[in-house]
This record gives sequence, structure tokens and C-alpha cells, in this order.
Amino acid sequence: MSGNVCLFLNWFCLLVSWEAEGPESTQTPPVSSVPLIPAVKSVVFKGESHVENVQVLKPTYLSLECTWTGRQNKPPNITGFWRKDGSELTSSRHTVLLENQQYNLKREFTIADEESLGNYSCVFDNQAEVDFILAAPRIGDVRDKPIVAYVGDSVVLECKMEDTKPKPNTWNWYRANETEKDFINPEADPLRYGVQNKEGKTRLTVHNLTEVDAGAYYCGAVYDISITMSRVDLRIITFMEPLKPFLFIVAEVLVLVSIILLYERGKSQGSQPMGG
Amino acid sequence: MTRMLLLISNETRDVTSRAAAGCFMFRASSRRELQTIPGPLFPCQDPCSLVRTMAQSPDAATRASPPPDGGWGWVVVFGAFISIGFSYAFPKALTVFFKDIQRDFQVSSSEIAWVASIMLATMYAGGPLSGVLVNRFGSRPVTIAGGLMCSLSMVAASFGNSIIHLYICIGLIGGLGLSFNLNASLTIISKYFLVRRPLANGLAMTGSPVFLFFLAPLNQYFFYNFGWRGGFLILGALLLNCCVAGSLMRPVPSAGSLSTEKKSLKDGEAGGQGTKLKSNCLSRVKIVDLSLFKDRGFVIYLIGNAMFFFGAYAPIVFLSSYAVSRGVDELSAASLLSIMGFVDMFTRPGTGLLANTRWIRPRIQYFLSFAMVFNGACHLLCPLATSYTSLVVYAAFFGIGFGMVFALIFECLMDLMGPQRFPKAIGLVTIIECCPMLLGPPTAGILVDRYDYRYLFVMCGAVIVTGGLFLFVMNVYNYHLMDRKAKAEHQERRGEDAQLQGRASDRTPEERPRAAGSGEDQTAPAATEEDEAMGDHAKTSAEHPSKESQEFHDISI
Repeated sequence: MSGNVCLFLNWFCLLVSWEAEGPESTQTPPVSSVPLIPAVKSVVFKGESHVENVQVLKPTYLSLECTWTGRQNKPPNITGFWRKDGSELTSSRHTVLLENQQYNLKREFTIADEESLGNYSCVFDNQAEVDFILAAPRIGDVRDKPIVAYVGDSVVLECKMEDTKPKPNTWNWYRANETEKDFINPEADPLRYGVQNKEGKTRLTVHNLTEVDAGAYYCGAVYDISITMSRVDLRIITFMEPLKPFLFIVAEVLVLVSIILLYERGKSQGSQPMGG
Repeated sequence: MTRMLLLISNETRDVTSRAAAGCFMFRASSRRELQTIPGPLFPCQDPCSLVRTMAQSPDAATRASPPPDGGWGWVVVFGAFISIGFSYAFPKALTVFFKDIQRDFQVSSSEIAWVASIMLATMYAGGPLSGVLVNRFGSRPVTIAGGLMCSLSMVAASFGNSIIHLYICIGLIGGLGLSFNLNASLTIISKYFLVRRPLANGLAMTGSPVFLFFLAPLNQYFFYNFGWRGGFLILGALLLNCCVAGSLMRPVPSAGSLSTEKKSLKDGEAGGQGTKLKSNCLSRVKIVDLSLFKDRGFVIYLIGNAMFFFGAYAPIVFLSSYAVSRGVDELSAASLLSIMGFVDMFTRPGTGLLANTRWIRPRIQYFLSFAMVFNGACHLLCPLATSYTSLVVYAAFFGIGFGMVFALIFECLMDLMGPQRFPKAIGLVTIIECCPMLLGPPTAGILVDRYDYRYLFVMCGAVIVTGGLFLFVMNVYNYHLMDRKAKAEHQERRGEDAQLQGRASDRTPEERPRAAGSGEDQTAPAATEEDEAMGDHAKTSAEHPSKESQEFHDISI
């Protein structure tokens, strides 16, 4: 069962559509989870620019408000408009009046899915702007160097969401090829992969490593609104690689010890005929 | 020249400070003169340990030449530098690998930290065993064995699949190998050096900060390129360099010893001499030699050191987190420890040089107390440091204090015990120091959790300052007592020698080696000094071995 309805509340028309429970979520959120009063993010600033990070967990309505104190000369009205990801939103350009020595821009946005996320900017007369970066919680603890593992061994890849951030619903793991990401299903291949999920952590264990397993892996923290990815690189080497420096150092030690002991024996043999 | 030496030998009966005069007159006299006089002269030591030192070595009475104090000795110092460097820096530098091992084995961070703690604890607890082995076999074989053990343990650890495997390989076997290295290196320094021994000790102990400075980034490089398994394998190879250091540790050449040993063999039992000597040796081997506790100076040293070790390591463990809590960013906080290590690197040889000067050498125990009080005072002032600059200043002074104490800590024990008793003494000291060293950081951690970082520094500073003051006061008291007793017996002996002069010519020199080798507190060669004072050579020494030993024994209690 599904339907569309326009609910008139105050000045807003809430266009709502819903569907019966299915595996994929719909374009717009079901009625029960819509906040009637939208969440407000408001920023007061001076100067030329400001950046605000906004964490979004699930589809919602968001009202963004910018208040600018202006410059030294404050004209009674200026133009203001909104941008999303660098391109101006149609019919957002209008005149902003000076009230209480400040200029105010406010607009409401529907954040329904992953495409709605991004960089929203309010721009005052091409002179000042505020960037609101809407995104799902990001994974902070990123490892920049690859994890090194050996052929025939098993390795554990880990991802962790910080305790201060909201925990994801679940975790997914992907194997990256050149172009796309392949979902890793542990049930399909239990001998090779194992996934352990705890609240804010996930572990992917890969058994019986071969050189083919090297490359980029992505862990995805699944939220209602989107999936945040974090990359982990895996490098596979054989045992010969550390063995080479090992043998080199052992050879150096043997050579040095022989030289020292031979030198000493030579010296003591030389002095023997003289002393006792 | 004989008259000058007469003066020396009388002087050296008294307190260490007066022996300083003897020290430098000794240096002024030529080596040739020295060698004509039988019996060693170690005027810079206090008379009691001096005498016991000489009594305990099997060839003491026959050692005609003093320790080399140079020449091959500096090569040995280099070998000790490498050996000590690995011993102290290795457990600390291993922590770079811990995060990945923790992830692979799925253990908590405290479980992985136990690897380093077990290694450090075993390194200290293995002291008595290493002492026995060094006494029996000498430094070279023990260092080589230690290097091989460490190396094999790291190679075995690289194939490990559980945390218990790491505890046993790295912790127990590796730690034991490091303890062999440490004990053997310190012992050989005490055998090769006397006059320049503080400098040699300072230089050898510099190995610890220098190796830490290089091992930490090296470990990171191995870790990023080979993972922790490959890193352990290569570290195992690097540890084999301890064997190179060991092969440099040539046993001290003693010129007269070979002939006298043969002589004593002849004088002894006719048949089965070899086995009898051997059984004598084995029956005297004790892993823990409790008779050392009868030495008052040793007990004072032990208590002072235990207090120092309780407070020494906790500030290092918590310095970065304290800095972060004061608003310093993480990278700068980590650099504070590097600053401390860098300053430490230069402080240790500098302290060794300073301790070798004529003003400080006789008062070296007091210098150690000063160094400890300085270290503790730094910690007490640390809570006043709130900005990054003031923390850098603190770290620099901490490095100075820490370096000073560690450059002197083994030198003072050598000064108290002498080269013969040193291996056993260091074994006992390290195994007893194990406890406060392991208890210190967790106790400090509890203070940090319950209250604040400031309490940690105040506690550590207070304990260390108390230890230093205790050492100072008790040493003053100890030397005062020894001075009084030495004076008293000096008066007595002057009276007796007048009587003995007449009977001197009848005694044979053979009794001397037997008396010297038969026990721990016999003091046969002690009388040689007195003989020189009287102008006689090796004659009257056998006459009052029991009496002399009695008197010196009294002093030690």
C-alpha cells in the first residue's frame, strides 16, 4: 500500500508519500518519522566565509539560516541566494533587507537520500557565504599506510566509529576493483572471509591469503541516509622479503665475529714466543 | 719512591676522602714502580671493600698489574655500549608493533603491554643467574649466549600465533638473554678499568638513549614495510650484533696469574687436583649470595635505589598524556620524550667525565645522591609547567637528571663492591629492583585516574628526593663509622707490627695464595699494605690473616 498526500500545516505543504515495508527505502520518508517542526541550523557570522559541518543520520527536513552582520557600509538591501555543490539553486535569488543591522537568509531543505547530502551555501551579494556540509558521520581513525600480511597467513582489517559519534545500523565490507566496489558476503565464502560486528566496530578476517587478495578494501558504516566509506589497503608479501635483510645481517655478524676472533688469535700467537 | 708509597698505604686505611690524596699520588707514580710491589693498590676505594675485594679473587695476591685502564679497554667499552644499548632500548622500542599485534590477536592493550613488562622484569630478575654465569665463565661467552638467545627468541616470536607464545618467546627468553648481556657488559667494565672507570661507565651507559633514538624510527620502518612478523625477524638478526659485541670482550690479561696457579696446584693435593679445585668452585657457587647483605654500604645503596626505581619510570610513561591534558598537541607531546632522550645522550658521558675528576671521584656516592635529588626536584616542579615551552624545559632537565643517575648508578655499586663481588651484587640489586620498577607506573596510573596528573609528579618527585637524601645521610653516617673503626684498628696494628718485625723472616710466601683463596672474608693481602709501610715485601701477610679478617668483618657489620 502506498500513497501521496499534501498536509497543510501553517504555511507549509508537506508532501508526503509512503510505501508498505520493503527492502529499499522510498524517496520520501514515511509519515511517522517526519518532524513537524524541521531541525534548524543557524549561523551568525562576520567576515567573508564560514564552514559548518552538519551530521545527518536519517532522512529529515532541515532549515538552514544565515545571519550576516555586513560590512562597514551597509546598503539597505542586497541580493542573496543559495547554492548546492557549487551550482545556484533555481528561484533562490531574492532581495535581502537590512534588519537590526543584519542580513538574514533562511531556507528549508528536504534531505531525503544520499543525493540530498552535500555542500549547501548561502551567499550574500557575492561577498560573504556560509558553507553547510551535510554528511553522515565520518570515520575519523583512518590508517594511511597499508596493512602488510603474508601469503598463507590470515589478516584482520578493522574499522571503528568514534564513541562520540552515533553508531551505524550495521557495517558492510567491499572489495575495490578499478571501477567498482564488490560487496563481500561472508556467508557465501565462510572459509575465506569472516565478519564480526560490534556496536561501533567491525572486523573483517581474510584467511588463506594469496597475492590476489591485495588491494583496497572499503568498510561502510550503514546509516539510514547513506553509507560512509573508509578505505583500508592490504599489501601481501611472501616470506622471502624480510628474509633477505635477515640473511644479510646474519652474514655481516658472522664476518665481524670471525675477523675479531682471528685477529685475536693472530695477535696471541705472535706474542707467545716472547712471553709465557 | 718507597717513602711516597708508604704515605699512600697509610692514607688509604682511612676514609675515602683522604684516600683521594692517595689516589692522585698513585697516579703520579710510574707504573714500573707499582709493578715491583706485590699486591694490588686500589687507593680510591674505601678500605673495607678494597680488602674484601682482594681477598675474594683467586689470583688477587698474584695480580701484579692493575687493570689496563685503556688500550683494548676502550674497545670493550664500545662492545658494552652496544650490549647495554640493546638491553635497555629494546623493550621500549618494541611498543611500535603493539597496535597491529593487538588487532591480529584480538587482545586488549593491557595484555599486549605485558609483553614489554615481562621482558623488562625478566631482564632484571635474571640478574643473579647471570651473575653466577659471569663469575664462572667470564663475560665473553655469556654475552654471546645472551645475544643468541635474544635473537632466537625474536625469530621464534615472528612465527607466533597467540599472545602466550609472545609472552614466552619475547618476554621470558628474550628478557633472560638481555639480562645476560647487561650483567656481563657491566662486569667487564669493572675488570678493565679502575682509574677511568666512571668515564667508561658513563660512555657505556650512553648506549641506552642512543639505541632508543635509532631503534624507534627503525622499528617503524620495518613495521610499515614488512609488518610485525617481518619486523621481528629482522630485529632477531639485529640482536645477533650483541654476539659481535661479546666477541670484543676479551678476558683481561693477567700477567702473573698463570704461573701462580700452577704453583698453588703443586702446593695443593698431589692427585686429582683438577677435580678437587673444580668441586671447590662448584660448592662455592650460590645463585643468591645473602652474605652481601652484611655489607652496610650495600644495603644503603639498595634501599636508595629501590626508592629511585619506584618513581623513575612513571613520569616517562605519562609525560605525553600530561602534555596533551595541558593543551599541547599530540605530535609536540610525543616530541617531549625525544627531547629528553636527546639530552640524556649527552649527559651520560658528561657525567662520567665529571665523576672522574679529582674532586668528585672520592665522593662519588654523594654525587649519586645529588643526582637523585636533582631528578626528584625536577618532578616536583613539573606541575608548574603549563605551556609547551615550560614542558620542554622540564623535559630537558629531566633528561639531565635521568642521565646523571644512570651514568653513576652502576659505577657506585662497583665502587662499593669491587670487581670480584660486582656480578653477584648487580644480580641481587636488579632482582630486588624489579619490584619497585614494576609497581611504580601502575601506582602512578591509579593516582592519575583518581586524582590528577600533578599528584603523579609530586609522588614520584617526593619518593626520589627521599631516596637521594637517604643515600646522602646514610653514606655520611657509614663513612663516619668506618673512619672511627679504621682509626682504632690502625692504632692497634701499629703496636703489634713492632713485635712482628722480629719474627717476619721465618714465614714462607706459599701461605699467602692459600689464605687468599680459601674464603670470602679472609684478608690476607690486606697486610701487604702494612708490610710496605714497614718496608718489608711479601713476608708478614700470612701471620695475621684471621685477626685482620676479624677486625674488618666487624667493621662491615
